[in-house]
Amino acid sequence: MSGSWLRRAIMLVGLAALAACQRPPPAPAPADAAPPAVRYVDHVAAGEVLPPGATPQNPHRGDAAVARNGALLFNSMNCDGCHGTDASGWVGPALGDGRWRYGGSDAEIFASIYYGRPKGMPAFGGTLGPEGIWTLVTYLQSLPVPKDEATESWEP
Amino acid sequence: MSASIIAAGREERGVYENPSNKGRSRPGAVVRLFLAGWALLAGFGARAAEPPRGEWTMPAGDYATTRYSPLADITTANAARLHPVWTFSSGVLGGHEGQPLVIGQTMYVVTPWPNVLYAFDLSREGYPLRWKYRPNVSPNAIGISCCDVVNRGAAYAAGKIVYNLLDGHTVAVDATSGREVWNVQSADLGNGETMTMAPVIIKDRVIIGASGGEFGIYGWLKALDLSDGHVLWTARNSGPDTEVLAKPGVFRAPYDEGTDLGARSWANDSWKTAGAPVWGWISYDPELDLLYYGTGNAAPYNAEQRLGDNKWTASVLARRPGDGSLVWAYQFTPHDNWDYDSTGAMVLVDLPIAGKTTHALVHFDKNGFAYTLDRTNGKLLSATSFVPVTWASSIDLTSGRPVLVDAKQTGATRGNVTGICPSLEGGVSPSSPPAYSPRTHLFYSSTNNLCMDFESRRSTRLKGTPYMGVNSPYHPGPGGYRGSFMAWDAVSGRKVWENKEDFPTWSGALVTAGDVAFYGTLDGYFKSIDARSGKVLSKFKVGSGVIGNPITFRAPDGRQYVAVYAGYGGDWALLTGDIRSEDPADVRAPVDYMKDIGRHTSQGGLIWIFGL
Repeated sequence: MSGSWLRRAIMLVGLAALAACQRPPPAPAPADAAPPAVRYVDHVAAGEVLPPGATPQNPHRGDAAVARNGALLFNSMNCDGCHGTDASGWVGPALGDGRWRYGGSDAEIFASIYYGRPKGMPAFGGTLGPEGIWTLVTYLQSLPVPKDEATESWEP
Repeated sequence: MSASIIAAGREERGVYENPSNKGRSRPGAVVRLFLAGWALLAGFGARAAEPPRGEWTMPAGDYATTRYSPLADITTANAARLHPVWTFSSGVLGGHEGQPLVIGQTMYVVTPWPNVLYAFDLSREGYPLRWKYRPNVSPNAIGISCCDVVNRGAAYAAGKIVYNLLDGHTVAVDATSGREVWNVQSADLGNGETMTMAPVIIKDRVIIGASGGEFGIYGWLKALDLSDGHVLWTARNSGPDTEVLAKPGVFRAPYDEGTDLGARSWANDSWKTAGAPVWGWISYDPELDLLYYGTGNAAPYNAEQRLGDNKWTASVLARRPGDGSLVWAYQFTPHDNWDYDSTGAMVLVDLPIAGKTTHALVHFDKNGFAYTLDRTNGKLLSATSFVPVTWASSIDLTSGRPVLVDAKQTGATRGNVTGICPSLEGGVSPSSPPAYSPRTHLFYSSTNNLCMDFESRRSTRLKGTPYMGVNSPYHPGPGGYRGSFMAWDAVSGRKVWENKEDFPTWSGALVTAGDVAFYGTLDGYFKSIDARSGKVLSKFKVGSGVIGNPITFRAPDGRQYVAVYAGYGGDWALLTGDIRSEDPADVRAPVDYMKDIGRHTSQGGLIWIFGL
């Protein structure tokens, strides 16, 4: 199948989900803007000078309806096949624990999905486009982050 | 005696006639004569005279995949004295399935990704490395492998160590120098194919298959030329006869009629993304000149997207190594809707059945049944359950088909189906191969006592991403234990004894002429037991959970040793994420059915050698 066919199919899934939610699509504001440069806040910048690059914000952050669409996309794009049901972790890392291998800012999560990552995370920018990826980012950011419990104890 | 001398002694292996090799030099009469002799001499079960096998030259020890060794220095009388004599960190944290090879004075170890090959000099104190080989293997394969970055071992022939890389390459390395002889791309990572299985070398053919049942691959078996790695034939596990290599007059299914069974048993063209991976073990009968292998699950897990029997997923196939042609095929789980792969070992033994010696094939399936087939034609002789089973009540010996329990059939429209036994980890994992002793006439196998719920939904096929569509939480099976190690009588179809284990048991088995059997546990014990009673003779807590397969060999010092990997992982690396400590960005709660495993083990790759 061609990428454009897939993209149309995925858009249809997304639109159907939106219709079911009885909500108009969100304003497409900066969603189609250029993707961010690969630049992680978590990285140490030599000389404390950050490289140039866009740091886009998630246009849908906190939008529950978009997050619900993102949950559907998370399953329909087979993200759950690697990251587990509800992003609880599988062969790929858990995504709802508040800890991020490649950074957890809007732009960093976006870049991870858009470009993929070197341990086998596929690049979804081609099939989903920026709007689809922000939808996924919104879903991941909507997951309730448990208290960061660093200790696992078997003592009573 | 050095490895090179031994290798030289085996250079002449014979070759198959090959239509694609027209114009190449043909094997002469001398080679043909040699072939006949070689077939007679090949160690085979208890019938042929066994050469004194101090070495371990193929994944399962022999072509029949018995994992039996004639070495008998270690006995039930002295095994209590077994203790570790050597250990070595592989430097790799992925699950350590598979087993070492021992050729001459060298032990060869393949690690999980990044698939390092170590060659240890067994003739020197401390077994220092002769060399190590570090291939350039893509890290993308980490995310395309369904279930940890495991490797199930290497094969040896004609002075070459041959094995598969996770990213879909097959390599041959000179067993003496460690130099790469050839490196070919066998599988397509972009299409979801990875490689984890151990090749088997039959004469001049390297037989390989791909993993990817969770990625909707179009499963296959290939033969590569041992001399340069080029593909001699490719046989698909589903599709029309031309793809499956089912030829008129050659192929005969014991329970099916007609042509194109591998395509007609699938709705629409769903056979093109069948799954049917080949990630287990290959066995070979030199007298029948048939190779046997099992195929994995059908894709996707939501079976409503692929109505029909889905041949030849979850099946055993018998092929001619020469041209790949299919001779017979039998499907253990038609229309697999529980992820019941049949990639477990097909053990070739001759058994006295109904008063006559039968060329049998014995297989412990993920689906919970132990099967005995006639390996000349694929006819089912017996099938009985070896763990609690709820998806089928029995296997009908007339039709060869399971008698299904309707309430346990799954699919997107059936919602959450609860209480399916065994779980999709299998009554035994195919990665935990059994052993067979011609002395006790018993099979030895790990088992899992887990059940599952299975809620499937529609899945999208998107190349390079998983093609599954399921949520399937596990529960401990009945009886308050989660695994065992058992002895099984394939003639009567019954369990003779069973050592219950707290955790699922995931190691392979080994049995020796000293009537000692060996296995490891998920919480990290390596045990020797009396092969007749199951009594534990010795146990030692190795550095990590054991999912590898023990082997035994005679070292240059003349003594018998037993080697095994420790290295928790495989499916458990995904399922019990709290045993991982290498990634601060991935912290998971323990799973509810195995909250306590993290107390007993964590990841870590170690090679252990035990001696008296």
